[in-house]
Amino acid sequence: MRLRVRYAKTGKLRFVSAIDLGRVWERALRQADLPIAYSEGFSPHPRVSFPDALPLGYASTGEYAQLTFAAPIALEPGVKALNTAFPDGLEVLAAVEVAEGAPKLAKWLRASCWDVAYPAGVALAEPVLALEAASNLPVLRERKGDPVTVDLRPSIHQICCAGAALRVTLHHVEPPVRPSEVHLALRVTDPDLPEPALVTRVAQGEPAFTDGPGAAEQRPAGLVEALSGALVPPLPDCRK
Amino acid sequence: MNVTRSPVSVWPQLEPILTSVRKPARYVGGEGNIVVKDVAAADSAWLLVYPDAYEVGQPNQGVQILYEVLNERPGTAAERGYAPWPDMEAVMRERRIPFFSLENHLPMRTFDVVAFSLAAEVGYTNLLNCLDLGGVALHAADRTDDDPLVVVGGHAAFNPEPLAPFVDVVCAGDGEEFVGELDDVVRRSRRGGWERQRLLDEIVRIEGAYVPSRYSAEYLADGRLRGTFPRRDGVPYRVRKRTVSDLDAWPYPKRQIVPLTETVHERYSVEIFRGCTRGCRFCQAGMITRPVRERSRATIKQMVAEGVANTGFTEVGLLSLSSADHSDILGLCGDLADSYEGTVTSLSLPSTRVDAFNVTLADELARNGRRTGLTFAPEAGTERMRRVINKMVSEADMLRTAETAFANGWRHIKLYFMIGLPTETDADVLGIAELGLKVAGIGRQHGRRNKVTVSVGGFVPKPHTPFQWASQDAPEELARKLGLLRRRVASDHSLNLRYHDPKPGVVEGLLARGDRRVAAVVERAFALGARFEGWDELFDYGTWMRAAEEVGVDVGWFTRRERGEDEVFAWDHLDSGLEKDWLWKDWRDAIDAGTELEDCRWTPCYDCGVCPGLDLQHQTGHLPIFSAAPS
Repeated sequence: MRLRVRYAKTGKLRFVSAIDLGRVWERALRQADLPIAYSEGFSPHPRVSFPDALPLGYASTGEYAQLTFAAPIALEPGVKALNTAFPDGLEVLAAVEVAEGAPKLAKWLRASCWDVAYPAGVALAEPVLALEAASNLPVLRERKGDPVTVDLRPSIHQICCAGAALRVTLHHVEPPVRPSEVHLALRVTDPDLPEPALVTRVAQGEPAFTDGPGAAEQRPAGLVEALSGALVPPLPDCRK
Repeated sequence: MNVTRSPVSVWPQLEPILTSVRKPARYVGGEGNIVVKDVAAADSAWLLVYPDAYEVGQPNQGVQILYEVLNERPGTAAERGYAPWPDMEAVMRERRIPFFSLENHLPMRTFDVVAFSLAAEVGYTNLLNCLDLGGVALHAADRTDDDPLVVVGGHAAFNPEPLAPFVDVVCAGDGEEFVGELDDVVRRSRRGGWERQRLLDEIVRIEGAYVPSRYSAEYLADGRLRGTFPRRDGVPYRVRKRTVSDLDAWPYPKRQIVPLTETVHERYSVEIFRGCTRGCRFCQAGMITRPVRERSRATIKQMVAEGVANTGFTEVGLLSLSSADHSDILGLCGDLADSYEGTVTSLSLPSTRVDAFNVTLADELARNGRRTGLTFAPEAGTERMRRVINKMVSEADMLRTAETAFANGWRHIKLYFMIGLPTETDADVLGIAELGLKVAGIGRQHGRRNKVTVSVGGFVPKPHTPFQWASQDAPEELARKLGLLRRRVASDHSLNLRYHDPKPGVVEGLLARGDRRVAAVVERAFALGARFEGWDELFDYGTWMRAAEEVGVDVGWFTRRERGEDEVFAWDHLDSGLEKDWLWKDWRDAIDAGTELEDCRWTPCYDCGVCPGLDLQHQTGHLPIFSAAPS
């Protein structure tokens, strides 16, 4: 039996690395007495796969995992037992059984919606407008020790703000674009922009659009969450 | 003592800087099975500190046991702390973040008691650093009624003199019962608003409590110690160690903490017995933890079943100083192997002696199929040398064990040895290589890819052992001996030689057998930036030698001087139960005649002094021997 879950990694757990997180999952599954399957071979590993890693320090309510069980489990009590076993800060929010022949989980996760919380009082409207207006957004990145310039523009599906809150939906590209790089791009307009207090991945899924005024014109409109199909909208007053 | 307590968490200061330090998960707490109490409302609050990095300290059994014992007491709150890595220390000093606990992130000064677990000597500068970061005066004499009580315990605390000026109380021996009695006195002190000196006077009356400020050390004209004497009436001349007689009555850890980040031992650990009477003459642990006290099979099985269920660990460690010596070991291992057959839960039995029986045990525990490596500790390369250290393993035993292991499908054998042992010759050193090569040869007969690792450490004489009178080899001499070994095994590809830099052993030796005058070296080395002596990348020999020179301590006098029979040791007033006369006789037997001594669990008592002194006997299932006379 295979399950896909959406889970949250918040609070103190945001300082736990992706490698360590795998062990936390394994131990919680064992404490919850759930029959997780193990790989064959010399050192068996629990069959829990994570499509992508959340950078250390970021919180998330939109992490995903796929679990393979050696025997069928009852969904609701199973999730409840797992959540009881998890340390504070880890919580499964939704779980669905995977149908035979379903496409890979990673195929459903085409973009991430991020909430970036700046310290209270920070004004984001101007740098966000400037960022939207720019036709390219060069950001310096290090690759194998060498500096390279990357254009963020094509990776940004939508960016909006309300007060000191920023919401940005980023396409999944390789190598991935991080909210910290969006922050760097905003600092081109406002060099005094302070570091965000907290970055949270809200959800992952398909980039969403609405119809524009013209025929066949499409406007970005948030993201459709992968497991539920629910819309994660842009911030309500981002155009003001 | 400070009666009011207004705990203020440092978490708001900590959280924003955590992504700027390495491995931040070691500072966040939040692990599985932690106990988070309301410290403001507690009758007493303890901070248990392991003065090394989180990944080393977190799995420590001593801290884990006392954490549970204390937190099970209503009204007592116990939290944990670990030494910050240097990058974190820099941030803490820059931002004035005090040393903090992991449960509620409270500053050290919030607590009534700050108790350090000293498993080894290499944490002493970290201990000072933790106090300094916590805003607690380094010298006990400078502390006020508002300061926490600074306590140390653990194996290294059996010679606490190099830390004497810095600690208020030393716990000698087992802590399970001691901490409860100390906690009672601390609560009375808080309720009664006692001054610090009154509190210390009361603590002196607890059995196993050594209060260094109540003693003075006197020296002879030649620099040797004349003795460590009580300053006033009512202070015991010698402090007798605490010994828990029934381990089944203390089945801890019950709910072991499950770390969020990788540590050195990722397993549920249960001590299957405490103490050892093998009588290895170099082994401090075996000498100071006597007599042998076994846990019953039923208790161990229950602890393992519950421990695995409430931690989710996939490995179980059956700990002791020589695990195969448990009188019921085969039955125990069989039962556990049955319980976990076909699961991913693996069982490990560290610290086993060299014989084929141990391979049988290891086979039993590895039923789930993983036969990777087996570790043995012959400790010395020749039979002569092994007689001197009383590690009674014949070469035939070793080779037979290796033959059995490789024949049963084990692919890697690790062998632990020491160099720098008393009376050692170059032939003894080369004997290590010869033995390693013979074992490697047996390995090759069973498979081309089989491997043997020979791991070599430098011997450091320890207090309360027959070798406490011995001279320690200089690092240059150890380096020369390592050179002999390297050249002898260089051409063999199935033998892998591992060794450590001999220099940290000099500092370990100085601290192990140092007296109160050595405290000045520790303090100076700390001021010069010494931290984390146990980490090769952070240990700086030059800093220590400079510190010793600046305070006028001759390191060689402490480490490379063979002591005479009339030498008074800095730890003679801490009573481990062993008779000094017996230790001396065993030392002379070792170096004069190379006479072996049998294990007293199955041969007659040889009067080491522990059992009658503590009014105890071995608690084991081995049949007692009443008479040595042939029937």
